[in-house]
Amino acid sequence: MKEFLLNIDRRIIFIFVALGVIIPALTSFNLPINPTPNVQSIYDTIEEVGAKNGTILISFDYGPGSFPEVQPMALAVLRHCFKRNVKVVGMCLWPQAVGLAQQALDTASKELDAEYGSDYVFLGFKTGFHSLVINMGHDFHGTFPQDSPGNNTTELPVTQNIKGLADFDYVLCLAAGNTPDGIWIPYGQERYKFKFGLGCTAVMAPDQFPYLQSGQMNGMMGGLAGAAEYETLVQASGTATEGMRPQSVVHLIIIAFIILGNVMYFLYGRQKGGAQ
Amino acid sequence: MLFLRRTLPLIIAFVMGMIGILVFYIPHSGAQALEQELTKWDRIVAAFAMVLGIYSLMRLHWGRVRRQQAGWAYSFLVFVGFTVMFVLAIYNDGQGPLSPQVIDSGPFVWMFDNVQVPADATMFSILAFFIASAAYRTFRARTPEAAILLVSAIIVMIGRVPIGALISDWVPWLSQWLMAVPNLAAKRGILLGVSLGAVATALRIIFGIERSYLGGGEE
Repeated sequence: MKEFLLNIDRRIIFIFVALGVIIPALTSFNLPINPTPNVQSIYDTIEEVGAKNGTILISFDYGPGSFPEVQPMALAVLRHCFKRNVKVVGMCLWPQAVGLAQQALDTASKELDAEYGSDYVFLGFKTGFHSLVINMGHDFHGTFPQDSPGNNTTELPVTQNIKGLADFDYVLCLAAGNTPDGIWIPYGQERYKFKFGLGCTAVMAPDQFPYLQSGQMNGMMGGLAGAAEYETLVQASGTATEGMRPQSVVHLIIIAFIILGNVMYFLYGRQKGGAQ
Repeated sequence: MLFLRRTLPLIIAFVMGMIGILVFYIPHSGAQALEQELTKWDRIVAAFAMVLGIYSLMRLHWGRVRRQQAGWAYSFLVFVGFTVMFVLAIYNDGQGPLSPQVIDSGPFVWMFDNVQVPADATMFSILAFFIASAAYRTFRARTPEAAILLVSAIIVMIGRVPIGALISDWVPWLSQWLMAVPNLAAKRGILLGVSLGAVATALRIIFGIERSYLGGGEE
């Protein structure tokens, strides 16, 4: 038994994790989701933008691998924007994000009767990363003369008055890579001084705290928990809120295994050099 | 030949590097116009770099298939996947390659939504299983530093999910504090170090000290 607990087979751990995901996903129990100040700040900014009928730019910079974590953020933010009559311009710095962005825009616009062209516009993907952001800062219509379906951006109600990035009331980056701290902040926010917010994967979140403290970023949704907090704020429970049940249980399972591993290590493992 | 292979690229790197730095900081309209022009060039080069990337990927996997290296069947699947998606993109839901890409319906979108998205998301989610196993095996309080890291990790793990608030209101607060104070301090230090390193590397490239990008090593 001692040997077993000191070196638990990884397949047993996998079974525990699998059950920790499946059982809470199939059952229904509610957990309290309290929005953190960083998520609240994004919500409040979109409320402010809505009050003046403003426009926000959402940059979809993630791929299918981050879909379960970041897509709920996209949906919650879009629902919020369309409810508050915030005009939305969507774009992608990642080519894989085009299909995901289109999916989120379609879902939210159908639910809330948002109309293409007058409520939202999708620009699609263009190469260039930092160069694209610099070009957009100076000359929006020159950089994106047409939207994704091929309409002229100078003629669409949402984009016709946008001359550069500074004309957006808010820029929100939904990211799974280095686009917020590597591109949007140094080449966009720092130069054109727009309000900037971020929704990112949980693994990225710790890296972004310096930008929150410096004020270069006014809010952040980190991982599925951040998405669930936003869903709570907009009172539209979705996959992120549902995902909090399995995520909570799996975190507890991992912590239980860590504690067990340490207890066994201190009781028996130190003499043997620890578990293999 | 040496001029074309070494001297000319070094001159281009120096001139473009210096212009790139200067126009970024000079708010004069002439400098801004030049920056706009250069960034447009950069975007065109970036588009060609994508084509080069695809060529490089195909060449690598073609080599594996030709030599029938271990796992060559996976390399073959790269060609199958690429060809299918390329043909569907050209087909463009019946609109043809010259029309704007149809991104809300058709077989290309169907393949993306029903093959790539679930496959990619599954690959990523498998990490949870490996992290659980690795945490049990390696996360041991062998030293006081490791013990601090372990306790912090447990607090953040509980504090970042709703169950933390059920235990005590202090758990999410403490988790947030750990992220916003000690984590921030460490990250900022790392960030400053990395940024200084990036500046140094950029200057080494601009002044021709770092030449590995020319290929072929030192001559």
